[in-house]
Amino acid sequence: MTVARSLFIPLVLFLVIAFLIGPFLIIVAASFSAGETLAFPPQGFSLRWIAKVFTVESFRASFGMSMFLAIGGTLAALVLGIPASYALSRYKLPGAEIVRTIVSAPIIVPGIIVGLALLRYIVVPFQIGITLALFMAHTALILPYAVRVVSASLENLRSDIEEAAVLLGSSRLGAFFRVVMPNIRGGILSAFILGFVTSFNQVPVSLFLSGPGVRTMPIDMIAYMEIVFDPSVAALSSLLALMSIGIVFAAERFLGFSRYV
Amino acid sequence: MFQNRAEALALALPAAIFAAAVFLVPVVILLSDGFRNPAGGWTISAYIDFFSSPLNQAVFLRTLKLGALVTVVSAVIGYAAAFAIVNLEPGMKGKVTGLVVLPLMISPVARTYAWIVILGRTGIVNQAFQALGISDVPLRILFSETAIFIGLLQLFLPLMIISLISALENMPKDAVPAARVLGANWFQVFWKVILPLTKEGLVVGGTLVFTGCLTAYITPAILGGSKVLMLETLMYQQVSVSNNFVAASVIAFILIVMSFAANILLKRVATARNKQRRAAA
Repeated sequence: MTVARSLFIPLVLFLVIAFLIGPFLIIVAASFSAGETLAFPPQGFSLRWIAKVFTVESFRASFGMSMFLAIGGTLAALVLGIPASYALSRYKLPGAEIVRTIVSAPIIVPGIIVGLALLRYIVVPFQIGITLALFMAHTALILPYAVRVVSASLENLRSDIEEAAVLLGSSRLGAFFRVVMPNIRGGILSAFILGFVTSFNQVPVSLFLSGPGVRTMPIDMIAYMEIVFDPSVAALSSLLALMSIGIVFAAERFLGFSRYV
Repeated sequence: MFQNRAEALALALPAAIFAAAVFLVPVVILLSDGFRNPAGGWTISAYIDFFSSPLNQAVFLRTLKLGALVTVVSAVIGYAAAFAIVNLEPGMKGKVTGLVVLPLMISPVARTYAWIVILGRTGIVNQAFQALGISDVPLRILFSETAIFIGLLQLFLPLMIISLISALENMPKDAVPAARVLGANWFQVFWKVILPLTKEGLVVGGTLVFTGCLTAYITPAILGGSKVLMLETLMYQQVSVSNNFVAASVIAFILIVMSFAANILLKRVATARNKQRRAAA
């Protein structure tokens, strides 16, 4: 191997990873700045911006809203998606392909279109509240992920064990809860995490559905940074990234999350 | 396989009805708006209006251009990076792949925000340029196509690298050494061996990157500002500033046609590969 080639691999990797991770490290560094404006290199060291994040009223409200949408929307998507995945993988379902296409379509259509369509033809005509509309939009958005991940883990589970349970006198429902559910637990948790992260970071769907006082976390961050150029959005970004990386790492460590995604 | 149809429908219908009511029906109505003639019947005049505006033409072409450019550049960088990663020892490979995937878990707002610090008037790039004497006045990098390009590339490069890593790993291990032994230079090895054998991975990655660029909102909104628009930001502006829902419907239709076209291409390549596998088996 020539010197040129042995240098090639580390150099390429260094440049690519610097490009992918570097900007985020700058944000993390900037959030410890003591200065008044967002800048790199940071001016001095302080925790004031990290502390400020917790005192901004709109951040608290929008964080609560995003948590509600991410957890509630994912649970709702699972309640709809698990039975649908089960029907798709275990039954001869008439129109199975149509059902599959409909439930997984929200992933293909750009979020901004879903948000606008929902606003114009559901929210306005039926006088639905913004929070409920956001909840419906996020549920629809997470549904494709829920069906995909749960279907994948159902496919990996042999169906004859539940048929055996039914033959031995269990009801179909009993077989599902006692035999199938324990076996696809990991898949369900993976779907939950994927749905949570997707919903929490989602912007375009929520764009038109955010009203005065009702904003999701990322939209509130964009609105804040358009007005104030201090490091608090950097501090908030660092904290949120820590949260999602922590969740995904814990999931990978305890569940082997990446097997399902 | 259970045969009970009523049970199957009872399980599957709630999800299907929910998705149809919340998503499918509203989106179809929205898309039909652009074809509706105010005087009754159907027309494509909204599309003619849309494309006869030089501003809209510029936005449409810019979206295509940035999408294509980001896809091509991410493919070039992606091959180099994926090739380097595949050739690492197993322990390192997992760690480096983890670093490549890591940005996908971070909010796109945070990832885009970082570029303001880097590319802004008092940002790192301008500080460096002035310190090195390349420029006396701060350059205007933010709110330009360049800024959007950089932001989109950073956002979607991981998807390309991951697709190419799995394609390169599925390649027969001795294909490259064999070509080398037979006298091919590195350019020929790439063009005649690696590229044909990893074509599917490239198409999967390329489709993900291209549709990602088409439908990205945050990056053009933050790094392009209100002047340098892409289709998504134009659509937002048409609704929130001009209240022009017909134009918004036209843009929505264009975006959907473009993402569907990319997805159909993806499916076609995937089925072609399955057929090949079946033929081989």
